[in-house]
Amino acid sequence: MSVFMDLNLSYTNDKSRMQSLIETAAHLGYSTVAINYTYELTIKKSKVPVPTPIKDLMEKLPIVQGRCRPIRVLNRLTVVMSEQCHFKKTGREFSAYDLLAVQPATEKLFHAVERGIMFEVSYSAAIRDSTMRRYTIANAVSLVETCKGKNLILSSAAEKPLELRGPYDISNLGLLFGLSDGDAKEAVSSACRSVVLHGETRKTAGGIVHTMKCCSETPDQQEAPPADCEAPAAKRAKQLTE
Amino acid sequence: MRAELDQTPRSLLVSERSSFRDQKTRIRAQVEQLHFNYKVSVLLPECCSAPPHLDSIFNTFNSFYLIRNLPVYELLDKNFLETAVYQGSVYGVSYRTRIDEDNCVALTPKGHLTLSLDKDSFEILGVEGKPSRFNHRTKCRFVVSVDLTDSSMAPGGRGYQRLLTGLRSRLQLKTDFLLSHYPANTTTSLQALLSRYDWSEHRPQISRHTLTDLSCPALLTSDLQSCDPHSFMEWVGAVDANVSCENSSSSFLSSLVCPEPRTTVSRALSVSVCGLLLPHDVHRLIQEIRCYLEQPHLESWVCLTVHGYADSPVSWGDNEHSVLKGGENFYSLLMFQDDTYHLHLATGAHDTCPP
Repeated sequence: MSVFMDLNLSYTNDKSRMQSLIETAAHLGYSTVAINYTYELTIKKSKVPVPTPIKDLMEKLPIVQGRCRPIRVLNRLTVVMSEQCHFKKTGREFSAYDLLAVQPATEKLFHAVERGIMFEVSYSAAIRDSTMRRYTIANAVSLVETCKGKNLILSSAAEKPLELRGPYDISNLGLLFGLSDGDAKEAVSSACRSVVLHGETRKTAGGIVHTMKCCSETPDQQEAPPADCEAPAAKRAKQLTE
Repeated sequence: MRAELDQTPRSLLVSERSSFRDQKTRIRAQVEQLHFNYKVSVLLPECCSAPPHLDSIFNTFNSFYLIRNLPVYELLDKNFLETAVYQGSVYGVSYRTRIDEDNCVALTPKGHLTLSLDKDSFEILGVEGKPSRFNHRTKCRFVVSVDLTDSSMAPGGRGYQRLLTGLRSRLQLKTDFLLSHYPANTTTSLQALLSRYDWSEHRPQISRHTLTDLSCPALLTSDLQSCDPHSFMEWVGAVDANVSCENSSSSFLSSLVCPEPRTTVSRALSVSVCGLLLPHDVHRLIQEIRCYLEQPHLESWVCLTVHGYADSPVSWGDNEHSVLKGGENFYSLLMFQDDTYHLHLATGAHDTCPP
């Protein structure tokens, strides 16, 4: 298993509430959280929100309960789509986000996105309202039956710290949705890790080559090791000696 | 809804009845094999204060050390191996690391170093290891197990060098570490290692509770056919956690009840010791309790429970241990006046069968 993650903490402008959310998540044992910004694609001329840098939100990130490391905070964007618009996910405005999510508002779009991606079930709505609780459970049970318990993550979509629950509690909630013990635990750990790694590959070329901008603005931006570095022997170019 | 909702995660309970006088008793081996003990609790019925001999055992449990941010390659240090690991028994386990989330380290007294690593760390380390037995769909946890006393791991050897290089330059694994050494009078052998890092010595924490009007299963005879192990274990756990078994309607919905037939003892003493506790000290405690029971008492039994670390990479012997919902690995020893005992060994879902 990997560390516990909650990849959906709703963003609010209230800085103290955001800090409180992150502190509560660290106290409950989550090692990684993602702050979720929402973007409605259908509203004309709406701009992609710019994420607040994490160090502006919280100077010193709290230590995760029971471990010695501080919590890791990522930025996530959820694009709400109701029609098949052209959505260029490699656009510059999306590069500030570590994770991208799509919230299909119609069933048609749902089928279009079902291949090869993780599905997310959020539980905080079930905490807030009893009608939503019934819908959440019913929909989650159907989803689990369809995807057979794989490729599923459970997250909070919490707006307030009181809407967060501990990872083992959410793993038990997964049992209610029809997941097995192992699958339910994976839904808050390994599956989330896959999502985060997948998000990292968006910034690379095919998940293999990672490019960084050098300090000196050279036109060739490919990462090239300097000639005197400790490159592995097999890859060192032959030096012609005279 | 699926029918499996009423099932709890798998757990194992092994129950055994024997006598200390029996030649074939395995109690010594069973106690010895649970290397990393976190808590020992003793329940003494009809007793308000522990007798002095028993108290002295509690007070003379081995001290242990906490080293902050110890680089794990230091456990391969030649001097440490020669003066501590090869000589006596060194018990070490990583502290504040979760077995299902972090990288965990354990050093057993026979010189076995076990590293339970996540996928990334294992791939970076580059040493031979096996996937965890408790991986679910994906292989996300790996176990590297080395015998430091084996000739292939002698300092300077290939296996040793590879692991040392891996821990020193590739993975650079650092963790808080709990360390204890038996026999205790050779702790000077640990001083060289301790002096290099931020360390502190700790005494095990002892707490005592006097319980009044406690409902107990009627354990007057050791022929306890009516009380099944599960109910008995629930009761022992409830007493240890100070949970009432009265099941009164005014209190919170607890359905924990004392198994029938039951009796009431006017008072009982519950003593707990917490820390990195060694099997050797548990043995001494068992022997002392046997002496205590030889004297006539109102109630002729004592219950001793020993809990292992929930986040230890190994439980009994060198068997792999992990956490699914709970990482319990403990045993409960119910001792009687006639030197007979009932032993219950319990583990959680991600564990192997206790010995």
